[in-house]
Amino acid sequence: MDIEPSDLIVGLLMAALGLIGLILASGALDDEMYVFGLSLFSFACVFVLGLVRRHFDKLEAARAASNRHV
Amino acid sequence: MSDLALAMSRAAPDYNEAVVKKFVIATVFWAVVAFLLGVYIATELAWPQFNLGLSFINFGRLRPVHTSAAIFAFGGSALLGTSFYVVQRTCRTRLFGGEALANFVFWGYQFFIVMAALSYVMGYSQSQEYAEPEWHLDLWLTIVWVAYAVIFIGTLMQREEPHIYVANWFYLAFILTIAVLHIGNNLAIPISVYSAKSYSVASGVQNAMIQWWYGHNAVGFFLTAGFLGMMYYFIPKAANRPVYSYRLSVVHFWSLVFMYIWAGPHHLHWTALPDWTQTLGMAFSVMLWMPSWGGMINGLMTLSGAWDKLRTDPGLRFSVTAVGFYGMSTFEGPVMSIRDVNALSHYTDWTIGHVHSGALGWVAFITFGAIYYLVPVLWKRAGLYSTRLASWHYWIATLGIVFYISSMWVAGIMQGLMWRAYDTFGFLQYSFAESVVAVHPYYVIRLIGGLMFLTGALIMVYNLVQTVQSRTTEREVALPAGVAVAGE
Repeated sequence: MDIEPSDLIVGLLMAALGLIGLILASGALDDEMYVFGLSLFSFACVFVLGLVRRHFDKLEAARAASNRHV
Repeated sequence: MSDLALAMSRAAPDYNEAVVKKFVIATVFWAVVAFLLGVYIATELAWPQFNLGLSFINFGRLRPVHTSAAIFAFGGSALLGTSFYVVQRTCRTRLFGGEALANFVFWGYQFFIVMAALSYVMGYSQSQEYAEPEWHLDLWLTIVWVAYAVIFIGTLMQREEPHIYVANWFYLAFILTIAVLHIGNNLAIPISVYSAKSYSVASGVQNAMIQWWYGHNAVGFFLTAGFLGMMYYFIPKAANRPVYSYRLSVVHFWSLVFMYIWAGPHHLHWTALPDWTQTLGMAFSVMLWMPSWGGMINGLMTLSGAWDKLRTDPGLRFSVTAVGFYGMSTFEGPVMSIRDVNALSHYTDWTIGHVHSGALGWVAFITFGAIYYLVPVLWKRAGLYSTRLASWHYWIATLGIVFYISSMWVAGIMQGLMWRAYDTFGFLQYSFAESVVAVHPYYVIRLIGGLMFLTGALIMVYNLVQTVQSRTTEREVALPAGVAVAGE
């Protein structure tokens, strides 16, 4: 099963944003930027993991459906 | 085959209802949070001991958490969710951009809300009303908003229906104008890319003017145009009647969007802003009466021939009462924008009462109406768990609003009169502290009103949870004859 273009584009965008979050946290001059940077990184990681999980869930569902037809 | 027959024969597309469900849940969650925070800060105002000496829960920090939770979290989630629902149904097509992009808009928007609230309690703010988030959060919201616009406009462009229904015009005006306002008002230079602190590119009276161009149009396009989109879809659906006058709805749209954008200067009467600009803002605010009331009449008259439904459908009762409050607050706003009235009302609690007649009476009620309609539809239930509980919600909340706004009217006008009172020697008759003491009973009445509104919302939460979970609301599915026989 191919990766949906939407998943790929959003996944890459989130990966880039997560990296920016990590960079912001690393050089943060105040608490707010530190908290924001780390939160952005965590948010991006969880979101991308969610995309991966959803992709494999769909794959499994498609496989189960094709097995039923056999 | 006729067009009608062709339309009837087409199967309903596979709509993305998952993201709408998420927004509905978020709307209900943030409603309770916003109302609870409102009650708490009202308690702080009545009895300052409730600040507890803790910086992160003092009134100054919690107040923007309350306003952001009400406007952006509760109102915003309702707008994004219903716009995704309406645009799919009226364009007869699935949301553009796939599931991932819609999920990004949902979770990205919730992330913005949580991070903004956290930054306020930590003491970070641009100190501009309704635009408190600092530059990095503004940038994040811009990314989310662009994704939202791409989905909405993309869905409109791939529509299967030739006509763009008027509700979508209102939603589109909300999306585009908020984008322009948000970027325009938040142009700022950070002291470092690694610091949350920034300075606005405009200063002095120019900054104030840009802020209130933003602030007033946040009311005009976020809290009015967006929710009018909701009105134009959900009232006809719940009443099962067409919009009273489609022509009037189009006139309503164009006149409203043209006039609202000029009204901002009325927030800066009697300031360093040039007189002609203040007069311009005042004139356009008064002119706004016409489109606002045109829209109100259109919403109310849609009930023609279906008024009896108000007795049996509490959701519709919420929506129609909301339109009444819309008419009332859009009458009061232009009155308050008149410079001489503003001399009395500005900086007093009258403004707070006015804002809440709009926020509770219009925004929250039209949203409750939409939520009571949407939950049984989205979760495929036969109907609400209890229309009696919804009725209780309606009456408790309505009474709560009455307590709130009437106490603030009295407190505000009293404050205004006390501040301007002179004695026979030309000295101010009252000290500021005396006016604070005088309004204390009204602050307690306001708190009671807020508590009632919160109680109504908690009843709604229970009713909605039961609607989704209770066996009594399950739809009866007619089994094919063969299956029924096999089961025997």
